[in-house]
Parts: sequence; structure tokens; C-alpha cells
Amino acid sequence: MTTSNTTANGDDQAQSVALTINGLAVNAHEGMSLVEAAWHGGVPQVTSVGCLEGVCGSCRIMLRRGKEVTVGLACQTFVENGVEVVFLPPASAPLHHYEVSDFKDGWDIQARFQDIFPEASRCRHCHGCDNACPKGITVENGVALAAAGRFREAGEAFFECVMCELCDAACPELIAPAHVGLFSRRVTAHFHLRPPNLIHRLEELRKERMENPPKDRRKKNNED
Amino acid sequence: MEPLIIQNPQVGTPQVLLHPERRVGADMSRWRSSGGGVALERAVKNPAAVLEEVRLAELRGLGGSGFPAWRKWEAVAAETPKPDKYLVVNGNEDEPGTFKDRLLLEETPHQVIEGAVVTALAIGVNRVVFYTNPDLTRSLAAMKAALEQWQASDLLAQASTALGRPLELELLPGSGHYIGGEETASMEWVEGRFPFPRGKPPYPAQAGVHGCPTLINNVETIANVPHIVAQGAEWFRALGKGSATGTKLYSLSGDVLHPGVFELPMGTPLRELIYIHGGGLLSGKPLKAVFTGGPSSTLLTPVDLDVAMDFDSLRARGANLGTGAMIVISEGTGIVKRVAEYERFFAHSSCGQCNSCKVGTANMSRLLDRIDTGCGTAADLATLKNLCTMLPGTGRCHLINGAVQLLDSAFHHFPDEFRQALH
Amino acid sequence: MSKGIPLAEALARYRADADIAPLPGSTDIDTLLNTYHPDHLRGSVVKLAVGANAGDSCQRELAGLLQAEAFIDEADLAGSPVTDIDVLVIGGGGAGCAAALAAAENGARVLLATKLRLGDSNTVMAEGGIQAAIEPDDSVQRHIQDTLRGGHHVGDPTLVSALAGDGPEVLHWLINQGMQFDQTPSGDLHTRRAGGMSTPRLVHCRDYTGLEMMRVLREAVIQHRSIEVWEQSPAVELLSNEVGQKCVGAVLTSLNNGQLRIVRTRSVILATGGLGRLHLNGFPTSNHLGATGDGLVLAYRIGARLCELDSFQYHPTGLVHPSHLAGKLVTEGVRAAGALLVNGLGQRFIDELQPRDVVCAAILRECSEGRGVRVNDQHSGVWLDTPRLERAQPGLLEKQFTSLMTRTRVAGIDPRVEPLLVHPTLHYQNGGAVIDANGATTVPGLYAVGEVSGGIHGRNRLMGNALLEIISFGRRAGAAATADRDRGPKKVTLEHVNQLRRALTLAGLPMTQRAPQILPDYAAGGVWNR
Repeated sequence: MTTSNTTANGDDQAQSVALTINGLAVNAHEGMSLVEAAWHGGVPQVTSVGCLEGVCGSCRIMLRRGKEVTVGLACQTFVENGVEVVFLPPASAPLHHYEVSDFKDGWDIQARFQDIFPEASRCRHCHGCDNACPKGITVENGVALAAAGRFREAGEAFFECVMCELCDAACPELIAPAHVGLFSRRVTAHFHLRPPNLIHRLEELRKERMENPPKDRRKKNNED
Repeated sequence: MEPLIIQNPQVGTPQVLLHPERRVGADMSRWRSSGGGVALERAVKNPAAVLEEVRLAELRGLGGSGFPAWRKWEAVAAETPKPDKYLVVNGNEDEPGTFKDRLLLEETPHQVIEGAVVTALAIGVNRVVFYTNPDLTRSLAAMKAALEQWQASDLLAQASTALGRPLELELLPGSGHYIGGEETASMEWVEGRFPFPRGKPPYPAQAGVHGCPTLINNVETIANVPHIVAQGAEWFRALGKGSATGTKLYSLSGDVLHPGVFELPMGTPLRELIYIHGGGLLSGKPLKAVFTGGPSSTLLTPVDLDVAMDFDSLRARGANLGTGAMIVISEGTGIVKRVAEYERFFAHSSCGQCNSCKVGTANMSRLLDRIDTGCGTAADLATLKNLCTMLPGTGRCHLINGAVQLLDSAFHHFPDEFRQALH
Repeated sequence: MSKGIPLAEALARYRADADIAPLPGSTDIDTLLNTYHPDHLRGSVVKLAVGANAGDSCQRELAGLLQAEAFIDEADLAGSPVTDIDVLVIGGGGAGCAAALAAAENGARVLLATKLRLGDSNTVMAEGGIQAAIEPDDSVQRHIQDTLRGGHHVGDPTLVSALAGDGPEVLHWLINQGMQFDQTPSGDLHTRRAGGMSTPRLVHCRDYTGLEMMRVLREAVIQHRSIEVWEQSPAVELLSNEVGQKCVGAVLTSLNNGQLRIVRTRSVILATGGLGRLHLNGFPTSNHLGATGDGLVLAYRIGARLCELDSFQYHPTGLVHPSHLAGKLVTEGVRAAGALLVNGLGQRFIDELQPRDVVCAAILRECSEGRGVRVNDQHSGVWLDTPRLERAQPGLLEKQFTSLMTRTRVAGIDPRVEPLLVHPTLHYQNGGAVIDANGATTVPGLYAVGEVSGGIHGRNRLMGNALLEIISFGRRAGAAATADRDRGPKKVTLEHVNQLRRALTLAGLPMTQRAPQILPDYAAGGVWNR
């Protein structure tokens, strides 16, 4: 057992890897993730870290390898000799605003989508979003599906999205693909997920409540 | 609509491109009576001499590169047509503080066209594309009218004969994107696609528009060609100051009394441009800094007032002449805010192909906005500096380099302003 | 811990197609738990000396934080900017988002403050699913019974029936928010059966249930017009009225620059999650970086009563390697789908679908009795036999456990070919702040929802009840907090801190340690004053 999750690889045989994180020289052990390396090297201000397993999308980085710069998640990227890493600040506030509860009708959802995400149909196919996605999502294709009103398929394309919003930063047309994907998933569930077993149980419970009205004070207040 | 440009030609300063007699708009007969067409006649007789004259004149790429024009010409001249050869006359001009090409296109369209035709003869080009910023409606109208006259004129027929095949001239409005001014991006647009910069090699001279050998030169570069051919390299060289040759159109703007385009000898000191031609700073305030190049370059400060504004002298100072744009900032103007504005421009202009550039500039812009609005932290500033170290040289084109150079230079000259703006 | 079969030897011995002997006869569960479960380790539990739980048992390291010195005193508040808001939610995981949305739906102006980024939470990592009694042969009553039994009959029946009764409506609400679930070909919600359930009740979205829930709630919160979100803003202290007996706000700091901000409010909802990152008893953890038990510390200091402070859930199947995933979970769904646990000798040793505490104790028994697989002096574990599962149900891992496959692929491991080496990992805090059915703590104005609250899961939580709890109680607390209609605070003080300091001094306790911890030591380089 160890006192933290992160020192498991601290044995002496592991080779030393030299890299730069946020401008500081760091010596790390082979096999360390960049988050582990940052902590190991005492790099300050590394607080954009969350789940450490690649699903929360917080630890966004830019990484320079030779003349090539890529973006990604630090907890899913491993140390390499000579690379330069910069942890990115959190994503900016969203540019597109909607509330699912505002949608009363699924029939005009395409029009609503075009109102909310007008940029989605202006994709210039630079593939920046595809390159930026740490999950290998075919972002550009997902956006095209959404722009064509095929929200179920678009949402499916974004299934592995972890909301790191790197595609948003990578999009020159400010389409906000991550949010297009989530919009697609949400309207699909909101308008089309109607499971009989759940509906049946809800109906049973409703009838039960009619027969035995609740004595819970809070619920009464809400009904006022 | 009143002209945007206030022009104050100074007595004793030789005016070549902007000579009052040449500023005749699309009127072909007035242009010919002021000496237009002479260079073309010479080129028709002896096309091979043009390249040599341009080489001796040391004409440089005036769109910002400063690269000797003849080297690119020579490379295209050496290629065989596949089946065509292209010349793209780049008038995309979309960078902040640059407004010289629009003036040349609007007021001297025939000068530009003649320059292009002479160039075409010199290197065997049979297709010329005048690639023009689509928002400059007056430039477009003047070029359209001028080109119609050329199609009907004997000049074009003579050129075609000399070339041995039809010389086709086309006016093509650009995409309206800043990045469309990048040389390989312009070729994409000419081919009908979004102007994404291409990787090099292949170089345009070998495989450019539709795979054909292609020369891309800035409007101002091309406009100089007729004068070099007509009056000779020696005359041209003598126009410049010091070792520089020719004249330069400087776009002066910002906190000066008389902003405008000034045609001055290449290598004119900054002091002369600002304090003589520009009339000095508004309200007599002290000079704080000058954003050069459009504004993807290092800042100039009062210590640079006597630097000659030519490619080599500025490069020796670690700066860049760029398009010759000089945006003057007086004391009392916040550097952080201005830099934030320009970085936002770059972030919006990045084409998206390279994550390094788009994600890099987007984050730089966002961090600068945070600092400028009083929300920035020391960590934000550190991240900015780290990005400046990491990003140069990682893009397909130079956009990211310019964005970094500007910010780096602002850090260098005004470190306190950034520190004091922190939360 | 040098006992066990060396890794290479164990790997050489392992066969996915080997015959497996049936389980040995019945295990004495109580003896197993008492001997091997970390909660029962000698020296791991102490008695609290001060506060609402004085005299109660508490895990040793947690007790140190509950009885620690505060970071601030009244002088620090002078000049700090003040924000007034109807409801303050502290915590940006599933519970915090549900509470904020419910409060906003009920007309409150809400401030949601979170230590890291909105959505950085344990919610996002929950893979298994969410329990709700929706199948025809299931009932709310059975859900209640299973939950109480799983919690060793320590859970509060009122809370448990509220939880189970909310199940179907919670799914309805989530679907309305735009959350997707797996369906059967006929369109029913697909259910699985997992440990401790008497019938299939686990509704899921492949093995990304928590991620799907979190990204939908996160988006709903970001988009909501009445909710403001402050990220990188952990709470360092609650605020009390003049007599230190009502919660009237909180003091937040900034991870970016350490600036304190005062929030005055009618009610505070703590949704700060658990404490895995305290690495209790030296265990690795499955938790996200911010899970340092801050809410427990703040609630206790202002006088809230807590419960089951000596009961934690160690998830049986935490990964042993690769190192960057050490402590991270292999979802119980893999066992629910049929994967066996096998020791270094290739033997099964426990019914894999026993409650988590039992399975965990059994794995620790195998390791300590030398039948585990030994990686080095610090690390050992047992096999989770995924290759056998793949042989029995080809394609299942790729189809239903995408998240597991993606994570292991990054490290070059293929669970379809190699078994996974697993060891118990600190996963969940069973207890927490005592609440009523509205999520109200024993301190007026203070609510607690999600992992920071206690009483629902007794001494052991069933899979799928955590995701249900955060929505069910998050919404209950959000609504109740909005219904609190007093005029808001007249005066905000740190009187409760002064009272605690007096009590600590009286009890002769040192005030050398400060709490809350905010980030684990190894990640604390970025924190304001360290």
C-alpha cells in the first residue's frame, strides 16, 4: 500500500525522463502521466486536475514535441524526454445559451438549433476539432450531423465526450462543438426517450399518491 | 463617401507610386499620358532584361517578407508551365493598421496592372489573378473598370503576342479572412477553397495554383516594377536612404495628428515619419510605443526613433518592417489593452488547421482579456509567458509566430504594466 | 507485506480456460469483516473529544481534521468582498448541480461554488449506474429492503424510503434534463443486477452513467439563467449568526490568488462529496482530486451532528497497475456481468456479488494469507478474470465497458487477453452529516447532500444508490433551502469557530493542524497559502 496513488512507480530502476512543465524543468520517471510528473516535480499552480482517469476533462494541456504541438489531457499523456508542457487555463464561458425546458415541441428543434448554434452550419472543415479531441471523437462529422438535424446520430458521435472543450478552443468559427454534441444528446433524450417500464411505474406511483396523499410538509408547500 | 486617407505629400520627397499625376483612377488615357505603358513597351521588346533590372534594383517583397523579389521570380521563370503559370497579385490587405494597397488599387489601378503584365512577361506567366480584399469596394470597382479597358486595349494584345499565348487577367475578390493574405492560402482561394495555408514544400514556384508554377507578390511590390523598368535600377536604388532601395508606403495611424499613407524613401527614420509627416502626437503627448508590421511584430519604443525603417535595419533591432504599418501609441494608453485587442484579432484570424496556433492564440487572447479586465492572476501571466516560449515555429504559417512576437515584445518593454494589471 | 505469489509466476500460472473449482462452503461474514476490513483495523479508530459527536468513534485521520484549527479568524474577513445570494451551494458534482437546479427551479438566485472545475467530482467517474425500482417484479419496498440490508441495518429508514421512493421520478427528471440511458430493443430502460440487489434495478448508460449524468447536469447549470458558478473557489469556513448557532453563509477562497470572499445567504447546501484523497489507513483511492472531506470539517465545526465516522467503503476492485491508474476502479458492473475474482493460485475465494465490504475483506484476506499476486513490497492484489468473461461473452467488454477499455488501452493493456490485477481502494464515505428527508442538517440554515451526508447507506452502500442519492436528496435540499423564507442574515460571524477553539483548548487538544485540507499534500503546490 502507498500513501498516495501517485508514487507507485517511484522505484529506482525506472529511468529518468527530463521535460518542461509550465516553464519548469522536471525530472520524472518513465510511465508517469504528466499530472504525476507535475506533482513529482513540484510544479506550482497545477489545480486544473480532477478525476485523474480521463473522464472529467479538466487537465487540459498543450504539449510541444519537436516542432509539433498537440493538445490533450495531462492525466492521459505520459512523460517523454524533451517535451514542453503547458497546463491551459479553464475554458471560457459558453457563447451559446439555451435551456432544454424552453423547448416545448420537438418539431421545431432544427430551427431552434440553427438559432442557438448558427455557426454550426459554417464549418470550414479545418479538422482542428478532430485533431484536438483527446477521445478521438469525429467532432467535425458530429457537428455536420447536428447541422443537418440528425441529432440522435450526432449525439452518438459525441458519446465519449468528457467536456474538456478543447474542440471549442480549436474551432475558428466558434461553433462550440462540445456543446453542439451535448445539445444533440440532450434533445434526443428529452424528446425521444420514453421507456415503457419507467412510465408504467411512474403511473403506478401517481395513482398510489392519489389514494394516499403524502403528509410530507415540503411537498405540500410546493403544490401551493 | 469621403476618402479615408489624408495625404500630405511633403515638398522634396520623391513620389513614385503615389505621384499626383499617376493618381488618375481607372482613366486609361490620363494614365497613358502620364507615362503609363512605357515600361510595358520595353518589356515586350526585351522581356529577359526585366528580371535583371529588378535584381539590380534590389526590389524586396513589400507585403511584409522583405524577401528579394527577383529570387522568387527567377525560380518561377526557371519552371516550365504545367500547363499554365500563375501570378497572384496579393491585395488581401486585412491586417490592422495597414491601408496602402487599397490606395494603390483604387487610385492607380493601371500602374498595378502594368506592373503585373510586365512581371508576367519577364517570367513567362500566362494567368494573372488580382486577388483583392472583398470589403474594399472602391478598390474593386476601380480595378474592374481598369481591367475592362485593358481587355480592349492594344497593350494586352502586344503582351500576349510577346508571350506567345493569351495573357489572361482576372480580378478575384478574396475571402475576407486575414489568413487569406498568406501566400499559400491565397492559392487555395484562387482554386476555389477556403484559404487554408499549405505546408511547404512544395513551394509555390514549383507547384502553386492548380499545381502550376506560381508567383505571389504584394500589390506594392508589383506597382514598383514599371518604374524600375522605365527608369532603371540605378534610379530606383537612389530613391532609398542608406543601403535601402526605392520608396515605401508607410501606413501611419494611432495617436498622431495626421494619420495616412506616406510614400517616403525606404529607410526613413521613424522620427521623421511621426514628427514631420504625421505632425507629431495628439496633444503633444510623449511617444510610448509603435506597433509595427500589422501588428505581428515587435514593438518600437522612443529609443528606436532614429532607426531607419527598412527591412534590414529593423531586423537588426529584432523588429520587423512588415507591411510598413506604424500604429503609434502615446503615453497614457494602456499597452495591455492594445495587445489584448491585437491578440484577439489573431485568435479570430487563425484558420484552425494547427491546434498550436488556434488553441494557442485563443488562450493567449483569453488570458490577456482577463489580465486587462483586472481578473488576471500571476498564474495567468506565467501561462502566457510559457505559451510564448512554447509556440513559436509550430504553425504551418507564420500567424502564431507574429502573435507571439508581439506579446513577447510587449512583455519585454512593458513588464510592469502587465504586473500592475494583475488582480 | 511481502507475502504472495510473484507477479511473473502468477501470470505464468494463469489460464483463461482453466477449470475453476466451486467456491468453498459458506464464509462467516462477520468474522471475515472483523478480521480483514480496514474499518476494523486496530488503531484506525479513536473517540472524538469535542463537538456534536464528542464520545463517538471516528476514523483516526478524520478525527484529526474534525478537531483541527480553522484557517481564518474575524480579522481576515475585514475588507473581503461580500456577495448576497438566496442559496449558496458548495460543491460542483452531481449533488451540487441537482441542488442548484432545484433551488433555481423554485425561484432562488443560486451561487454554486466549487473547489476545482464544475463537474470535477466522483459523480463523473461513476460507471455502474443508478438504482430505481422500475421493473415489473421490482418495487420501492424491495429497493428499501435491499438498501437497509446492504447497510447492515444501520441506515435511517425514513431517508431510505425517501430515496427509494424518489427513484422513478429521479429518472424522469434526468431524462427531462436530457440524460440518456441504455434501452432494451422494446424501448424499456435496460436494468442490471449488481451486488446486494435482490432483482435487476441498475439503470445505466453503458459504463459512462456518471459521465453522462455529469455532463448533462453541468451543461444545465452553466446554461441556467439563475445560477452563477464560481470555479476554483473552495470554502474555507462557514459563517454563523451572533450566537454561532445558525449557518448564514460561507467564506470562499480562490485557488488562483488566495483572495477570500464572503457569501451571505439564507441557506447553505454542502455538496462537497467524500474524502478518498485523505488516503485513510494508507489506502489508494478511486476518488477525484478534490475529495478531501472539507464539508465534514466545515459542518462539524459549526456544530452539525455527523454519523458513521468510522465506516468507509473500500471498493474491492481498484487497479494495482498501471501506476497512473492505481486505485482507480474497475466497475462492479464487470463482476455483475459475470467476471470472477481469482487468487494467485487460480482459485475463486468469494461470491463476487456479495456486498462490497465483504468482497473487499475477502481480497485483503487472500493477500494477507499469501494467496495474492505480489507486484513488489508495497503492492499486491488478486485477478479480476476478464479474459474468461470475454471467452464466455465475446465482445461484451468492448460493447458495454467502453470506459474500462479506453482507459486500459492508453496504458497498453488489453483486459480481453490479460486479467486485471485488483486490490481494494478507498471509495466512499458511508456516513457523514446527519440529515432529515429534506437534506437539512442539525444546524439551521445548513443542508448536506450527497456523499458528505450520512444515514442513508448505513455502514455499506450499494452500487447505484449514490447516483440516486445525489439527485434525490440534491433536489429535496434545493427545494427546501429555497422554501426557507427568513429575511437573511443580519450579521455574519465566526462565533462557532471561537466556540470550537475554546472547546479544543479545554480538551487539551493541540491546534497545530489546520483544516479543511482542500487538496492532498502531493497536489498542494498550487494552493494559496502553502
